[in-house]
Amino acid sequence: MPPLDKRIKKFLKNSIRVAPKISNKGELAELRSGLVSQYPQTRKDAIKKTIQQMTLGKDVSSLFPDVLKNIATNDVEQKKLVYLYVMNYAETHPELCILAVNTFVTDAQDPNPLIRCMSIRTMSMIRVDKILEYVEIPLRRTLQDDNPYVRKTAVICVAKLFQLNKELCIELGVLEDLVCALDDNNPMVVANATASLSEINAMDPTVVSLLDLIQSHVSQFLLALNECTEWARITILGALAEYTARDCVEAQEIIDRVTAHLQHVNPAVVLSSVKVIIKNLVQIEPESKRIVMTKLSSALVSIMSTPPEMQYVALRNIRIILEKYPTLLTKEARIFYVKFNDPLYVKLEKIDILVRLVDPTNLKQCSVLMRELKEYAMEFEPEFVSRAIQGLAQLAIKCGDVKFVSKTFEILLDLLESQEALKNDCCIAVCDLLRHAVGNEKLATDACQLLSTWPVNETLLLSDSAKCNYVWLMGQYPNKFDELQDKLLCFIENFVEEEPLTQTSILVTVVRLHSKLPGSVLQNVLELATNQIQELDVRDMAIIYWRCLSMPNSDQLIAELCSSVSPQIENTLHTFTSDVLEKLLTEISSVSSIYFKPQFDGPRGAVRHHNVVRGRHIDELKDLAKNELARKANDDVLLDFDDDEEDLVSPRSSMAGGRAQSHMDDLDTLFDFGTSSSSQNNGNDNIDKGVADLNLGQAEQQQNQQQQTQTQSKINSNTQDLLDLF
Amino acid sequence: MVSAVYFCDGKGRPILSRRYRDDIPISAIDKFAPLLLQLEEESSVIPPCLSHDGIQYLFIQHNDLYVVALATSLATNVAQVFAFLHKLMEVLEEYLKSVEEESVRDNFIIIYELLDEMMDYGIPQITETKMLKQYITQKSFKLMKAVKKSKAAPRPPTEVTNSVSWRAPNIVHKKNEAFLDIVESINMLMNQQGQVLRSEIIGQIKVKSKLSGMPDLKLGINDKGIFSKYVEGDSDPVTTAVTEGKKKTNIELEDLKFHQCVRLSKFENEKIITFIPPDGAFELMNYRLSMPVKPLIWCDVNVQVHSQSRIEIHCRARAQIKKRSIANSVEILIPVPDDADTPSFKYTHGSVKWVPQKNAILWKIRSFTGGKEYSMSAQMGLPSINALDKPKVKRPVQIKFQIPYFTTSGIQVRYLKITEPKLLYKSYPWVRYITQSGDDYTIKLNN
Repeated sequence: MPPLDKRIKKFLKNSIRVAPKISNKGELAELRSGLVSQYPQTRKDAIKKTIQQMTLGKDVSSLFPDVLKNIATNDVEQKKLVYLYVMNYAETHPELCILAVNTFVTDAQDPNPLIRCMSIRTMSMIRVDKILEYVEIPLRRTLQDDNPYVRKTAVICVAKLFQLNKELCIELGVLEDLVCALDDNNPMVVANATASLSEINAMDPTVVSLLDLIQSHVSQFLLALNECTEWARITILGALAEYTARDCVEAQEIIDRVTAHLQHVNPAVVLSSVKVIIKNLVQIEPESKRIVMTKLSSALVSIMSTPPEMQYVALRNIRIILEKYPTLLTKEARIFYVKFNDPLYVKLEKIDILVRLVDPTNLKQCSVLMRELKEYAMEFEPEFVSRAIQGLAQLAIKCGDVKFVSKTFEILLDLLESQEALKNDCCIAVCDLLRHAVGNEKLATDACQLLSTWPVNETLLLSDSAKCNYVWLMGQYPNKFDELQDKLLCFIENFVEEEPLTQTSILVTVVRLHSKLPGSVLQNVLELATNQIQELDVRDMAIIYWRCLSMPNSDQLIAELCSSVSPQIENTLHTFTSDVLEKLLTEISSVSSIYFKPQFDGPRGAVRHHNVVRGRHIDELKDLAKNELARKANDDVLLDFDDDEEDLVSPRSSMAGGRAQSHMDDLDTLFDFGTSSSSQNNGNDNIDKGVADLNLGQAEQQQNQQQQTQTQSKINSNTQDLLDLF
Repeated sequence: MVSAVYFCDGKGRPILSRRYRDDIPISAIDKFAPLLLQLEEESSVIPPCLSHDGIQYLFIQHNDLYVVALATSLATNVAQVFAFLHKLMEVLEEYLKSVEEESVRDNFIIIYELLDEMMDYGIPQITETKMLKQYITQKSFKLMKAVKKSKAAPRPPTEVTNSVSWRAPNIVHKKNEAFLDIVESINMLMNQQGQVLRSEIIGQIKVKSKLSGMPDLKLGINDKGIFSKYVEGDSDPVTTAVTEGKKKTNIELEDLKFHQCVRLSKFENEKIITFIPPDGAFELMNYRLSMPVKPLIWCDVNVQVHSQSRIEIHCRARAQIKKRSIANSVEILIPVPDDADTPSFKYTHGSVKWVPQKNAILWKIRSFTGGKEYSMSAQMGLPSINALDKPKVKRPVQIKFQIPYFTTSGIQVRYLKITEPKLLYKSYPWVRYITQSGDDYTIKLNN
């Protein structure tokens, strides 16, 4: 035993913590002296402090060599800290990491699996080509490691490497190892390998044929499902959802194996299982379908008792599923009743689902829902109330029963009278109901009686679509309005300031009523619309009318136009076109399913390329790093360092990504348009309606085409679409 | 897949981040706060996902934090992301006790380490706290004592990647016990006349296991669908407090959800609940029941508003439960207009106070015996000037309570069989039942 004083000295040396004093000025210097301190505790504290400063946004990259010195230690905790620091700078200062490469390679052989993982994980993140070359041997070795914890990390590193340097990754042949990992006996390795492969496939679909791999591993996947963690299950279920079963027997088998997971506590596992089941549901025998549907419905319902974000995801997906299987949740309506402490975004989705899942032939259910919606309409949050009123109209139209419609109508009129703030929404809803109940004079009279009492000034109706509807109503039932002319003139006066929907509506109404109005009004409006309006749809519409009026048989044509009756609206719920629906069903629980925008089909564009430091010799890089540090050390006041950085690195090609995005947007707008034009009777699509009202005969088509050539320079896809409607 | 996870403060400014893949610009997160603000200005509907410039901002709120996951691809599994973020909060809570801006700022290192371990390249990995605690031993600043560190360098336990990834072997307890808590939360909406508009029971079976080795447990409950054949004499049958006076009928549970330790395929095929439990406390399963329930605690609330002078509230509360049962910590929250003031109360039991932050009166009764009825009346002044255009806020009366030794659904544990193949110890299962109010036990007030 050493003498007491020596022991005390040793004790002091090991345990004294000389915490670096943080003053505002010499902070870096202080940290640096802490990092090279002879006391291990102090060094560790200094690293922690450095990481803390780094998190707070300070540039501590000049301390890199000092921190790095601490990596050679037996203390795993300290090593981890250094790795945390290195990892953070791997992205912004890749060239600095060169200095650590030797340590990485050594650590990749450390007996402790934790350290092997850290080294390989960090190494595959550093964007320097030369480092990537050093990755080869450690990566190969760790891919074959005895420890599954290391293997599951290594398989992911292959995807990281692929993202950084595709050519190298292919050249090294680690992709083959990755494919082999699909047959690993550890389910977590299998799951991570699957995830890794699908990442690679998303970056470049030509390298591995993911679908074939999934196909040949379906049975392994089904086996692994019961054995692995919740996240691994999600990955594997995701892969299974890509697979199309050969026949109904196999589809049934997959469903049987997957349904058990509908009872997992993790809602993401549940949704992934739902996705697999929906995919296979089309193939199985109708009689077994019923049982599966019951299980599906109870699984979806159960997500309604999870956090609101999850509920939101579920509700958006339920909306997609309901369009394919409308009766799926009919019995579960009460689960979707709004709770007073639901966040607003959940409340609105719930109303949508409630109206959709209701069975229109079940009057009792419809009435129960109507009462519920009426309650909502008397709440206080404006968006919620507005949605509830819209829901009432949608429900009535969906139900279609004459008595039910008039009952709803009364409710709406009551609301209209009771609350000033609801006028906009009630006006729209009432007009929608009238469009449905074509020819029901009583309803029309009641509505007009109430609405025509409003003095027409702008404060009453605020929203564009409410005004549009009001003007439409005047055009439809001119005889039921008092002081019709004054009211209409008041709108015409503000024609130029109005928004497009109202403008089109005014245009249609004025044409319809031209015989009841002073002769100049029509000309006046058409002139305004053609000369002063920038909105192409409105202008084109005016030009079309103008043309019609100047045709030889214009009187007859206009008379025909005015006497036309618009078709009855059967449904005001928005629907997807069938191909959008099918696509969305395969994308359940993805981000695209929340936005209802199917993913872009082709390759996902080039992966955004990163500032890989390429083509330099390793020594050169080391010099570079050293210079970098030397320069910084001189600069005590740390200047903005990023500008220099940009010269070093090849520019990020955000262009490529941007382009892919715009493609996507194009596609999205296309889809949007597709849906709105196909569902003419969608409540707000008044342009379409207006055009449909016109009921133009075949003879005019040529006219229009001629028209089109004249204004071709201005015509956008929008008008194109309008014309297609004729 | 997730590109980065950010912890942001209440205004959306980043505090801490972990970037998993560098396919998004570092500045992307700076857009989050303005996006949020812009949305808030436009309307009060704020969905938990924002999209800007091809980047998806998926976020949850936790205390005063926004936890944001950034993703680029529309193919990202959004359910997984939200589930992960919630799980992350759960794990951090076990490390830091409470996760809020301050505790995040104090614990950068441990959060970095956990983020590193729980997700790799945007793919969730190991999230089981009990396993993480074995090798993420960084001291965190929290109210609890730090985990005692072993001398040997921490290594990932081999079990994390096994099929039983939630339990370490070689666990030893002196006394082998398992505690079952059956908690039923009642959600109910009533109107002022006492009519139940809707009700549901959300049940949880929580287990606290203090068992050595690798025990295999088998749970039998009186559910119709669940196979509850029980081999006599194999282990002690559990007696329950609810059996008396009730017929041993089987009930039907809906939406059963199980902890990942339950063998789901076994349940699917044979309707037997079997599992190897994690050590310590966890939620074994939950269920939902939509049978009609009569109000357990009923309040007859009468509100009279004399506009521009005062508001009077009369409330009679009745415990409609068995005489022998007692409802504990009953809280009745009655909304009052936000401009009411100068309260005066009359009451026989408990305590009443005005909570201006919530614009409500809170009546607390510590223990409420079945069959009893208490009453309370309150009077508050209203300002003589009325703001007319203010929208009238309609809030319901909220009630909270706990009733021990009682389940509403009548669910019973028939047996809990514990077998440890190697150690063959004697073990003691304990069962407790409790019924409490859910987060939506409310009485709707008429106008």
